[in-house]
Amino acid sequence: MAVPGGGATSGGGGQDKGEPGAPGGNEPDARFTLANERTFLAWNRTALALVVAGLGIVQLLPPFPGVPWGRHALGVPLIVLGAGVSVTAYVEWRRTQAALRHGTPLPRSVLPQLLAGTITGVAVLAAAVLLVSAAR
Amino acid sequence: MPPPPSDDPEDVDPGLARERTRLAWARTAIAFAAVGAAMLKRELIPGLIVLATTPLIWAVGRFASHVPRGRPRPGRLLVVTLTVTLVAVLAVVAAFVGHGPTSLRQLLHV
Repeated sequence: MAVPGGGATSGGGGQDKGEPGAPGGNEPDARFTLANERTFLAWNRTALALVVAGLGIVQLLPPFPGVPWGRHALGVPLIVLGAGVSVTAYVEWRRTQAALRHGTPLPRSVLPQLLAGTITGVAVLAAAVLLVSAAR
Repeated sequence: MPPPPSDDPEDVDPGLARERTRLAWARTAIAFAAVGAAMLKRELIPGLIVLATTPLIWAVGRFASHVPRGRPRPGRLLVVTLTVTLVAVLAVVAAFVGHGPTSLRQLLHV
């Protein structure tokens, strides 16, 4: 593949002088930097959607009959997950950028596990709230 | 001998990556605008705050991507993370305070 700048390990930028936000290593190919940034933005749109979903459940849904805490039990974890995804996306963006600069393997992302685990939990909880509500 | 033709359109036009990134920033700004507008109905001031970040995020993506060689600038990405986190905190607070049917007071009395 013809990569302008020579790829992650031999970028055209040369050695850095320790400026803030550029912790050593070589300037990576701009395309890698931009792809990393897009990934960060995509996770943040997901985070925003989670917050809005939680907000909608708590504020807009009518209460579950017989389960007054039901909306909070479902909505608040989604909102907290949204904040967690956003902060984690930023931390992983920094880590990936550092790995690109040093030509090391990219760190594994914890976001898929975090997202899948919490959404599964909320789904189970939603089923439980509906069953309890129907039984009353 | 010329190199074999690449399957990756970005090898033909490397500017596409920059364009895609700019569009991703625009999508993110639109998402913030939609959320801010939806929040206006219930919470006026937080909704206005989120709406106010929309042009900021759009401008960051539009103008900050002219940085030579795509040098990382953590500050502008922090704008996005901090705004999402702020909205989440406001959402949790809004879920529990006040006198409405979702307030903590009402929950504990039921």
